[in-house]
Amino acid sequence: MLKSVIPRIKDWPINLIDKKKDKILQETISESILEFNKSYPTLSQLREQLQKTLYLENIRIRNESWEVDPEDESDFWKKIKKRLLEADPNKIDEDKSKKLHQELLQDIMSRYANEIIGHFNPNMFWFARQLLVRFFARLFNSYFGGFTGIFKPHDELKDKLVVAGPVEKLRNLSLKGTVILVPTHFSNLDSAIIGFGMDYIGMPAFQYGAGLNLFNSKIFSFFAGKLGAYKLDRRKKNPIYLETLKTYSKTNVLAGAHTIFYPGGTRSRAGNIETELKLGLLGTVMEAQRIHFEKNPTNLAPKIFVVPLTISYNFVLEASSLIVDQLKRTGKEQYLVHETPQVAGKGIWKFFWETFSKSTDLTLSLSDPMDVFGNALDDDGNSLDKFGNKINIRSYFVNKGQLKADDQREMIYTQMLGDKIIEGFFKNNVVYPSHVVTFVAFELLKRKLNNPDLFTLLRTSEEDREINWEDFKASVKKVIDELYMMNNRGQIKLSPNITTKELHEIIELGIYNVCIYHTNLPIMRNKEGNITSEDLKLLYYYHNRLLGYGLHKFI
Amino acid sequence: MAYTNSSDKFPVAVIGAGSFGTAVANLLAENGEVLFYSRRADAVEIINTERKNNGQDIHPNIRATNNMQEIADNCYLLFPSVSSDAFRDTMKFMAPFLRPDHMMIHCTKGFDIKLEPGKTILDKDVTLQVADIYTMSKVILEETCVKRVGCMSGPNLAREIADKQPAATVLASKFDEVIREGDTALRSNRLQVYSNHDIFAVELAGVLKNSMALAAGALGGLGYGQNAMAFLITRGMGEIIRLATAMGASRQAFLGLAGIGDLVATCTSPLSRNYTVGTRLAKGETLEQIIATSTEVAEGIKTVSISKKLADTTGVKTPIIQTIYKVLFEGLAVREAVGFLMEYRWGQDADYLL
Repeated sequence: MLKSVIPRIKDWPINLIDKKKDKILQETISESILEFNKSYPTLSQLREQLQKTLYLENIRIRNESWEVDPEDESDFWKKIKKRLLEADPNKIDEDKSKKLHQELLQDIMSRYANEIIGHFNPNMFWFARQLLVRFFARLFNSYFGGFTGIFKPHDELKDKLVVAGPVEKLRNLSLKGTVILVPTHFSNLDSAIIGFGMDYIGMPAFQYGAGLNLFNSKIFSFFAGKLGAYKLDRRKKNPIYLETLKTYSKTNVLAGAHTIFYPGGTRSRAGNIETELKLGLLGTVMEAQRIHFEKNPTNLAPKIFVVPLTISYNFVLEASSLIVDQLKRTGKEQYLVHETPQVAGKGIWKFFWETFSKSTDLTLSLSDPMDVFGNALDDDGNSLDKFGNKINIRSYFVNKGQLKADDQREMIYTQMLGDKIIEGFFKNNVVYPSHVVTFVAFELLKRKLNNPDLFTLLRTSEEDREINWEDFKASVKKVIDELYMMNNRGQIKLSPNITTKELHEIIELGIYNVCIYHTNLPIMRNKEGNITSEDLKLLYYYHNRLLGYGLHKFI
Repeated sequence: MAYTNSSDKFPVAVIGAGSFGTAVANLLAENGEVLFYSRRADAVEIINTERKNNGQDIHPNIRATNNMQEIADNCYLLFPSVSSDAFRDTMKFMAPFLRPDHMMIHCTKGFDIKLEPGKTILDKDVTLQVADIYTMSKVILEETCVKRVGCMSGPNLAREIADKQPAATVLASKFDEVIREGDTALRSNRLQVYSNHDIFAVELAGVLKNSMALAAGALGGLGYGQNAMAFLITRGMGEIIRLATAMGASRQAFLGLAGIGDLVATCTSPLSRNYTVGTRLAKGETLEQIIATSTEVAEGIKTVSISKKLADTTGVKTPIIQTIYKVLFEGLAVREAVGFLMEYRWGQDADYLL
């Protein structure tokens, strides 16, 4: 465990910001109102948005209510409806009507902001850390000695959770500016694992958004709600909520909160590394950097650093339900659900148990930190061009000497940042044996069946699923050879289990690791020694992990 | 000249004093001051004293310089117009002078190809992947800190612009801001300006059409008329669109000025270098003979090779390009080539839009 960059939890940015949470809340509300009025400047536009919000909220309350929802939910919206009727500009004086509409907007935004806001309690953080450390220590007592921040091969399997990449630089930069960590998203456990990993390399705690549905669980709610998680509700797609959420995150980034954003939006349903990002929240990061420059002279303007993070799992807790969800979305009537996969609460414990007690591991692979334009940074956080010369990124917001907001320009910059993040995901993806074996098995099966469409392939009968062992081995070898080449070109990273082991060991380990957790085995050897699968959906899911590299050409 | 304008009117720069660069500088000069960069001091001297370059008069608002620092200090908007072969080196040279508040709109219709050392794109054993091909805007993004990038493309033959004939051009950029600035700088009563956000497609359209210019020259050399030409232009467009789609571009831009517009202009203009190469091939000269007597390799020859190699790796059907390639590099006679294309089973018309 590395020493904390800021020794006292009380001095962490997240705690200092928590102390100012009333101010953050007020700023969020007033800024959201300002922005919303900018987007919908006339009374009729505002009224329309309020009506739309009311309509959407009523549908949500009727169709999808959760335990975590406050009891006065329907009362609140009934009152809003009544007030909206009373504020009708056709019935009352226009100025009066405007005032009433503004009050309505204010009240709704205030309710949302109060729901979203997260808290941080240093004592709770300390308590949770002790708890987790003991929990892990019990599971795997030799583990903690081996935790390192540097990616290197190990002859023993003691490194269960590896944080790879420029750890020292990240630690340094966390003192010089605001760090935005942008991870791939495979599992609901990501935040907990990243939180644990970041704490382990001595980073102060990050803020992050957690789906409101997770707060249905009392245990989660008890911990996460006090460890910096703010709540985001994916049911609420109304414009007023989205504006409030965006402004809340922007206000926190401006206040200097190190933050985790999942740029993919939700968990990757298909198991692939994200290639399309949701740029909304990322856009607030761009905006925040511009506002820093507007408010401060260049040399004093706080900088924002973006750090992509690729998580490598051997198996994913929710794999079964994620892939079914994905198939339902893409296949529609082509995909009929025969069974509903269950993820029980004990799944989480099983996941940790399998991960930390058996020979399987997790990697958090950091990309090089960059500024919001994707430029490299020196240790002091100065932006560098490709020759290593310092550049003043303030000027990217400048047109003919004038620094001005330009939404369209910032949208394109955000797209460019998104491309850099995806590049980081792919380059720093650490390949495990399990990724290789599932990729090869699925591709070979596809080839054997003459490239049928996905849904036909997934319905392949058990006897037709068999893949010849020798073919399989030869293809794994070819893919690994290519992975080595890509690794040399800096396009991907290989886990020590690939670089230090013989081919047959890699295959055995790969099959073993991906199967530890699942009841129906995604990949296995049958009596004849050939490769087959008990669950093609899962095989497909795990195979997708290596999509996007063009590796199928080598099979 | 001192630039102490209190308004937001700053001089714009043109980099590269070739014939198109000169034409663009003259267009820009109608709206304000232009700094005109040439790396050769003697050329600068001649432009500034004799007020003539490449057979074109130089507008009084233009001043030539070979001081890049002066350009970087005084201009926010730069128009590089250098050949695709020299483009990357020019960007490398400019990079230390450039700042993040510069914007660039390039006027170069060409690719920069990543090849192994010692290889050229004309080599038969060279294969190409889509990722090896850089459009000029990608070169700018890769070599400099400039992010606000655009391009100017369309049916803009330098000679006709120099003669002050009316023309239309496309300004393509992802940034509204770049299109806005470029429009203000360029638009005049002899240049109509259209915008497009799909810069990649516009850049591809500007290059891929070159093969067809060569084929058009060959048809002209054989003395064929407008039926054959229309056949070539339409089916040629199909091949261009299919290739571009395989490279990840969308199709819309190809139906506009920068696509079909540029293709028509190039295929029907007997003055261009590409067209001349085609004519000479039709008269029976070989590629070696043509290259030996030209000062530079016509862009079209490279484009044919690039397109053919790309079609091979992406599996796109391109009968016209394949045939021109055989004429250029495998000694197929032009007449036989036409014969082959007449026997080819094309199938459905306008299939590239399906």
